[in-house]
Amino acid sequence: MTRISPETPAGAAAAAPAPWSIRLRDATVRYPNGVVGLNKISLDIEAGEMVSIVGLSGSGKSSLIRTINGLVSLSSGTLEVGDHRMDLARGRELRRLRGQIGMIFQGFNLAGRTTVLNNVLVGRLAHTSVARTLVGAYRPRDRQLAYEALDRVGMLERVYHRAAHLSGGQQQRVAIARALAQEPGIVLADEPVASLDPPTAHAVMGDLRRINRELGITVLVNLHLLDLARGYGNRLIGLRAGEIVYDGPAASATDADFERIYGRPIGDQDLLGGAASSASTASPVSLPGEPV
Amino acid sequence: MTALNTAPRTSRTAPARPVTPPAKPRNPWRVVITVAITVAVILVFWSVKVDWARTVNLPADIARYLWLMFSNPAWDKVPEALWQTWRSVEMAWVGCLLGIVISFPLSFLAARGIGPAPVRFVLRGLFSLIRAVPEIVIAIVILSVTGLTPLTGALALAVNGIGTLGKWGYEAIEGVHPGPIEAVHAAGGSRWQTVRWGIWPQASPEFVSFWLYRFEINVRASAVLGLIGVGGIGDMLTSYTQYREWPTVGALLIVVIIVTVAIDLTSGAIRRRITEGSRVRDLA
Repeated sequence: MTRISPETPAGAAAAAPAPWSIRLRDATVRYPNGVVGLNKISLDIEAGEMVSIVGLSGSGKSSLIRTINGLVSLSSGTLEVGDHRMDLARGRELRRLRGQIGMIFQGFNLAGRTTVLNNVLVGRLAHTSVARTLVGAYRPRDRQLAYEALDRVGMLERVYHRAAHLSGGQQQRVAIARALAQEPGIVLADEPVASLDPPTAHAVMGDLRRINRELGITVLVNLHLLDLARGYGNRLIGLRAGEIVYDGPAASATDADFERIYGRPIGDQDLLGGAASSASTASPVSLPGEPV
Repeated sequence: MTALNTAPRTSRTAPARPVTPPAKPRNPWRVVITVAITVAVILVFWSVKVDWARTVNLPADIARYLWLMFSNPAWDKVPEALWQTWRSVEMAWVGCLLGIVISFPLSFLAARGIGPAPVRFVLRGLFSLIRAVPEIVIAIVILSVTGLTPLTGALALAVNGIGTLGKWGYEAIEGVHPGPIEAVHAAGGSRWQTVRWGIWPQASPEFVSFWLYRFEINVRASAVLGLIGVGGIGDMLTSYTQYREWPTVGALLIVVIIVTVAIDLTSGAIRRRITEGSRVRDLA
């Protein structure tokens, strides 16, 4: 399948990652069991934006994130990422597009019994021939990308450690490095800090903000805590029952806006606390290291 | 996590109320099944003709044969016994390797999410069919083709190994965490890349442990296989038992037991190191 795209990598020597935009038109996701994940959503996200997506569980924010890299397919409507029609992509083309979209999960999803390096090199799978990956013979350039990605999240020291021996926050940073090693145009994060304690959560959110600001990558983060959503996103999208009920600047979203998104009064359980409540101006929190 | 425990705490000074548990559930089938099993066991006992009078002599007989075998074992036969035991272990080793080579790809094809459904059903059927047949029966069947050689024993062990290793393998594959697999999908990995970097890093310690365990089983089974004459320590044991040379039988049994237990202990220790060792450290 040929696409009109200036940044389509012609081979291994892909140019520096150019951020991708996302364009959804009347996108509906209906699961086989009849549950509607997304209900006729139209949404434009510009290249290089940092977007927080909030909503209660079941509001469709996971469906939205997973639709964008094709882990969930649209029942109707269209989805463009960059200049590519994601909703039409199948097989090899779909895998190639996924290779340009990094994803970060709530549960880190690392293979615990192998090394940090092998986990980060998963980010190079779509950019490497199957034969090479089966025997683990990655090219020097791919290894170099993995080291650089680990360095960016401060985990280069742990490159030969087993992933399972790291703390939760360290594992999530390795997962971020795995996404960065893809040289992605978009990074998606599905509740990336829901399994972490507050200081670690701020550190990981800080990492995500840094890759958005320094690398210009489009970043979409699912969150349910409103101080994190306000503090780290530039734009806030609120989802309720599969529909967009709020779309505006993150910093100026009021508690009333959140009550409308959640459909209930907000309370302490909707806040993480710590550095982010006034984070619109605060410097990125960075923890040099944390106890294993 | 930020949700603090808002549940009201019961006060310790509250007046003690008598606590009544819910009525214990009664299952009438329990009684029926218990009675049925008891009756069956008694009936089976009555149906088997046992010459109870002879069992009176049993302890004395056992003691007599133990005395014949172990009072003065024929130590001069030990070198020959060790040599034959080595041949048995070779049989076990070759059978194990063949079983691994064949079962390894098959267990992936038999796993849900990797192999197509028809292939899966055929392979799983094959695995259980093989497991239903003891090694010695397989050996007797292939005996007609390969003759009374250690190769027959090795092949029988290999075939049986495919049944067990194949089943353990696909169960291990299906038991891995879905998270790393999802991560490989999300990064654009293909089916075989998913197997290699999503599944294999999780399942490999279990596979290696199964392989070692299968070797242990084969060492024990290879002695038994010798009984039909394919060579090794079992063969030697049968011959000397038929000639009623009890001191030699005693020496052979001592060698077999020591070698088997030594291999079991070594392999078992390595397996524990592979599976539990890493887990214990993961918790730290």
